[in-house]
Amino acid sequence: MNQKATSLTWLAALAAMVVVLASTGCSKDFLNRDPYIGSSAGNFYQTADDAEAATIACYAPLQVEISDGAHFRWYFGDIVGDDADKGGSGDTDEPDLLEFENFFGDPSSGIVLGEWKTAYKGITYCNIALQNIPGIEMDEFQKLAYLGEAKFLRAYWYFNLVTTFGGVPLVTAPLAPSEYAQPRATAEEVWAQIVADLEDAAANLPEKSAYSVSATGRATRGAANALLAKAHLYQGNWSECRARCEEVVGSGEYFLDPNYGNIFTEAGENGPGSIWEIQYANNSGGNWGAQFWSEGTYTNVFQRARGTFAGYGFNLPTQDFVDEFEVWEEQIGPDLIEKVDPRLGYTVYQLGDNASDWGQLTEDATGMQSQYFPRKYFNPASELAPFGDPNPNGGSNDRVIRLADVLLMHAEACNQLGDDATAMASLNLVRSRAAVPTLAAGSAAGAALLDAIYHERRVELGLEGHRFFDLVRQGRAADVLEGFIPGKSELFPIPTAEITLSNGALTQNPGYE
Amino acid sequence: MIQRLTSLAALILLFGVSSGLWAQTISVGGTVVDGDMPLPGVSVTVKGSYAGTATDLDGKFALTAESGATLVFSYIGYLRQEVTVANTVSDMKVELKPDVAGLEEAVVIGYGNQQRSKISGAVTTVDIKEATSIPVLRTEQALQGRAAGVQVTQNSGQPGSTQTIRIRGLGSINNSDPLFIVDGIPSGGIDYLNPSDIESISILKDAASTAIYGARGANGVVLITTKKGSRGSKATLTYDSYVGTQEPWKYMALLNAEEYATLMNESRAAAGLSALPGLSDPASLGEGTNWQDAMFQRAPMANHSVLYTNGTATSSIAMGASHFSQDGIIGGDKGRFERTTFRVNSEQQAGDRFKVGQNVTFTNIKRNALAENNEFATPVLRALNIDPVTPVTRPDGTYAYTDYIDSDIVNPINQIEQTYDNWTTNRFVGNVFGEMDLTPNLKFRSSVNVDLALGSQKIFFPTFDLALFPGDPNRPATEFREVNSLIRAENKWSTWQWENTLTYTKEFENEDKLQVIAGYSALESSSTSITASRDSLATNDPTYAFLSNSLNVAPQIPRASDGISETAWIGQFVRATYDLGNEWSLMGTLRYDGSSRFGLNNRFGLFPSFSAAWNLTERPWFAEKDWIDFFKVRGSWGRNGNAEIGDYAYNPIIVNGLNYTFGSEQAQTIGSGPVAIANPDLKWETGEQINVGLDADFLDGRWNLIFDIYEKNTLDMLAYVPNPGTAGLEPGPSNVASARNRGAELAVGYQGGEDDFTYNLNANISMYRNEVTDLGAPVDSLNQPIFTGNVFGSGDFVAITDIGLPIATFWGFETAGIYQTDEEAMADTAQANAVAGDVIFVDQNGDGVINNEDKVVIGNPHPAFTYGFTAGAKYKNFDFNLFLQGSHGNDIYKGMFRYDLNTTNLPISALDRWTGEGTSYDTPRVTHSDLNQNNRVSDRFIEDGSYLRIKSLMVGYTLPSNTLERLGISKFRVYASANNLFTFTPYSGLDPEIGTRGTLEIGIDRGFYPSPRIYNLGINVTF
Repeated sequence: MNQKATSLTWLAALAAMVVVLASTGCSKDFLNRDPYIGSSAGNFYQTADDAEAATIACYAPLQVEISDGAHFRWYFGDIVGDDADKGGSGDTDEPDLLEFENFFGDPSSGIVLGEWKTAYKGITYCNIALQNIPGIEMDEFQKLAYLGEAKFLRAYWYFNLVTTFGGVPLVTAPLAPSEYAQPRATAEEVWAQIVADLEDAAANLPEKSAYSVSATGRATRGAANALLAKAHLYQGNWSECRARCEEVVGSGEYFLDPNYGNIFTEAGENGPGSIWEIQYANNSGGNWGAQFWSEGTYTNVFQRARGTFAGYGFNLPTQDFVDEFEVWEEQIGPDLIEKVDPRLGYTVYQLGDNASDWGQLTEDATGMQSQYFPRKYFNPASELAPFGDPNPNGGSNDRVIRLADVLLMHAEACNQLGDDATAMASLNLVRSRAAVPTLAAGSAAGAALLDAIYHERRVELGLEGHRFFDLVRQGRAADVLEGFIPGKSELFPIPTAEITLSNGALTQNPGYE
Repeated sequence: MIQRLTSLAALILLFGVSSGLWAQTISVGGTVVDGDMPLPGVSVTVKGSYAGTATDLDGKFALTAESGATLVFSYIGYLRQEVTVANTVSDMKVELKPDVAGLEEAVVIGYGNQQRSKISGAVTTVDIKEATSIPVLRTEQALQGRAAGVQVTQNSGQPGSTQTIRIRGLGSINNSDPLFIVDGIPSGGIDYLNPSDIESISILKDAASTAIYGARGANGVVLITTKKGSRGSKATLTYDSYVGTQEPWKYMALLNAEEYATLMNESRAAAGLSALPGLSDPASLGEGTNWQDAMFQRAPMANHSVLYTNGTATSSIAMGASHFSQDGIIGGDKGRFERTTFRVNSEQQAGDRFKVGQNVTFTNIKRNALAENNEFATPVLRALNIDPVTPVTRPDGTYAYTDYIDSDIVNPINQIEQTYDNWTTNRFVGNVFGEMDLTPNLKFRSSVNVDLALGSQKIFFPTFDLALFPGDPNRPATEFREVNSLIRAENKWSTWQWENTLTYTKEFENEDKLQVIAGYSALESSSTSITASRDSLATNDPTYAFLSNSLNVAPQIPRASDGISETAWIGQFVRATYDLGNEWSLMGTLRYDGSSRFGLNNRFGLFPSFSAAWNLTERPWFAEKDWIDFFKVRGSWGRNGNAEIGDYAYNPIIVNGLNYTFGSEQAQTIGSGPVAIANPDLKWETGEQINVGLDADFLDGRWNLIFDIYEKNTLDMLAYVPNPGTAGLEPGPSNVASARNRGAELAVGYQGGEDDFTYNLNANISMYRNEVTDLGAPVDSLNQPIFTGNVFGSGDFVAITDIGLPIATFWGFETAGIYQTDEEAMADTAQANAVAGDVIFVDQNGDGVINNEDKVVIGNPHPAFTYGFTAGAKYKNFDFNLFLQGSHGNDIYKGMFRYDLNTTNLPISALDRWTGEGTSYDTPRVTHSDLNQNNRVSDRFIEDGSYLRIKSLMVGYTLPSNTLERLGISKFRVYASANNLFTFTPYSGLDPEIGTRGTLEIGIDRGFYPSPRIYNLGINVTF
């Protein structure tokens, strides 16, 4: 053997190894394998259709109500607030809810778990859309709109979370399993994310009029601005709130339905004053809310009286709430007639009323002792699901934001900014539509005007899930709500199971430890 | 051709040697002998060079070397010898000494060989020669009872049914199958091998030995090499053949017709029903039908195998063919297995530095299968459950149907006749490799491996009708089929692999030896399938069962579907072994494995291991003891992976169904997204194992002992764990659970006798204790135990996998006898519906209700220990072999009776039923109205599944060679053997040797197809 042979040999060996490494050297690509059958994250999110489907998926969790524990916007907004009592068959019917109503709610309750998990389910689909849609080659304008919808919905969920639980884990991209155990962000950080998302959404979403009627229910620029106004309202950013409210009003996209009573009928869904509603259909057959296929709501059956009304009898309006509605005397001809805020009749059924085609509400018919029943999400028997189980298939949309809400936010913001004249103008728009006497210019100012605005919110938006959160935001909850424990009751407890599963990364809210 | 190549090689050899100009060249020649006997085929190499040759038929060799070179003589079964030569010599005599204890035997390990005396991990070899001296039906069988730490169970006794191999317990709750490597080729399953082609089987048990297989080694590795032929050997042709007959060896004791009718009447009376017309006079029914007798039959089997081997000084070849066929003892050719194999293995020295070779095999498997291992449609289940009153056939010869049981229980004999389920597999497995000595110390090897299997399945459902008369309205819907139909499926599995290794070997002056092997491996495999079905075929003749013969032109749903799946692998590895003289052997391995199955964040994993062996024989204390020949202790630690986690598991499917309602029309709009969580962290399951072992030989190598203890922890086991809400989606699989196996293995051998009478005894015993240690939830209260093994007759799952328990432990109600009186039953409020004669279930938590909370461990399907024993003896020309195998302490759940159907036949123990106070304390009354659910999952159905089986017994006679030589026959042996001759077991079912159905269903008898008793006559002829 000679030296030359040796070096040749080495060269050959080296060359062989190089060939080997080069042929499979792009190991990253070699190891990338996606399934060919069915879509996977690897071969989905490629086309404009995929972007559309990914965006729809963000809406789907809005319809989740029962999975992981029943939860409804009106549970906390109305019942824990002072507009309604729990109702049901008795204290043992949804006992957790009664505990929350009395401010000693249990952190292990399925109600908070359902609220929490559904919100993060919604956030997750938004995060998936936001991660995957940007890379899709498609019409850029449409792409921005999809991203705007996802951001709007993400902000909506975080709004629910931050008002319910305070600072929560801020998840803005799909998580790897090692990242699930997220600590809580501060409420300020969550608010900042909500504002940022909504500003983006407002910039990129089309106005309501740009959508066809078949797309009603999608997030619009108006919806983003309205929710953004609300986010600012909750943070006391009055001028930003005012500006966003004025954008909504000034867009010319919305007007107040002259007939308040129309709003809560099947025909009045997505009406002229509707800014954003969660859509429910009564024609999907129903699946008990476990999955998020298109479906109806349980709200109808939960809020219908029991007995011959075949409901569960929840969310019974309180006397205090009924008393909030204005009663005044009006000189009509020779008679001094007692007038009641007409909204009361559209919000609350009283014993003896004829509840549409279900018949007269009597103690015998309902088997309940309640004097009052909720009306806003009451559906006539003729609107029950045409097939399948009617209970999970209520058709009533959840009116999340209406123009009247925006006008009242505007009034409140203007009042806080010292512009009582503008505040009163907005307030009067709402009052006049409701056919209650408007306030004369200069008749109320400052704190008195603010009280009038608070009153107006309660009656205009009653039983629509706002009250408790308004009271907390306004700092009046401890004064108004019996049993409210300041420093604790502003927030609901973080679900126990979530704290456990986070391996201690999550901390409990004060007072619930 | 071979000669030409040989001379070419010799030329190159000469040229290569003569190029060494600077040293004086001498020629060396001589003879290698064992005593007086010349040894052909002995490898003679010049240490530190490429030169080498092999001895010829007369044991002679000749080569040239440099003066002062060291010649190394090595031959399988003999101790290696080194001789230094200074001058030319032509009559050198080298005497090799037999390696009695096998210390120098080269044991196949991953990517190489190692001397047995130097092995530091836990590697068991199977004496394949001994194992295949008796008929071995399939390769897995050769492992059963012969390798400590290896548990082989059959999934069914039906010919061709797969067998489950577990190395050191259950490594995972998901997939515990070991990796099979045949001639370096990773093979999914080894049913394609002809057992008599096998040269060696090594089982790598500890993590240090398997770490070189990285992410695929955690469940152990079975390394198989096939017969190669050896250089310098003469041409031989071997013909092995056996023919045999198989028979059932046990029937379950069931009620006869009279007893059946009596109990059915009693059962109906207990529910307030009158006797059924045909059963009202039990005494008139007599014995009735013995369905087991009608179902079981004698069945033939046969094997023919030819192997040709030859070798020159520079090449060797082995070529063979075989044909094996086995009919079933149920259904005969309806449950038949047929395997035809062809093999060519060859290697050639091409010049002094290059070697090329290939191992290629082609196998054709034809299998006809009857349903097995379920409680709905198997002939065994049906034969056990059908009433004994119904005859198999009516007087006119047509099959009868039962009037007493509906749904699943049909006439099993007719069922077998109507079954046409045929599988054909054509499989090509092979590799082509080249080896090059880059320097005398450095060898490069490159190998391309291919495994291609094409499988076709055809299931034909003919029309039939067991009507008593045309239009018979009483025949059950399951006893006629008005429209025939056909399913055809084509499957393809293909794998290619390219492996390259560099091996550096250096022997130092002080006898230290270093070997480093580094390698790179790329592998891609895919499987595709297409399935189609049609009905209304033109004829009922299975010969013409083809889709295109369908007369139905209407669209049929589903008509066709397909599937495809791919996996890719890249592995890089390095292993260093260092022998410090003969005293210490050290080994360290690192493998870096990547797979498409792993999530993006964990695409690659690193698998290290280390092991050491200390040969105490070298220490003075041991050296002084004459009776100790060899004494070695070894220890190892390593980490490896189980990558059988499924393709694409980290990458969940996008679901179209996340819909929402839009618009005034409330139209549903389709939304799409994942429902389960993508897990970019998904990775292999990690196995971590510590092993301590001892190898010793005593008394001139007559006794040998191998002992191992180990702890094997499986970490990162895949499980589904409840997720925090922030996860947003349903949990996908994640690497969170863990399990532990602790065990010990002992193998003892003795070789005795001399001259005319020699014998050997080998025994091994293995035990493991398996425990799930974690299921991944952050706190135990959130754990989700895994329930498996739904048994229909009991109406529930019978196995639980939970923390602190062995995998798939039997789980159900503890019973405490039978209520003797109604008063006693009434007094127990926990069982509100119980009356006298019903089973008492124990209210474990004392909450006054019998519910799922009261379930406890009722049995363990894992054996306390398993064992094997072989005795071999030779007396003059006779040879004898006995092989026993057994399992002790494992439980079986008897799930073969369909109590849910009320009217099935029952085991003979039902005669002991409760019929009044004091009549029975363990068997409940019979009743058609079982409100107490007497047959729910409970310890009543647990039986001890221990057994000891005479697996085989064989006597052989080799004809004296002098009479044969004139015929050109060098060896002629005849033998007679029996398999499964006797089985000793307390188990009342058909066969205690019950395997698994999936990883988490162990020891559940759903009407198990028993393995047959086999008698064979065979010959081995060598020309």
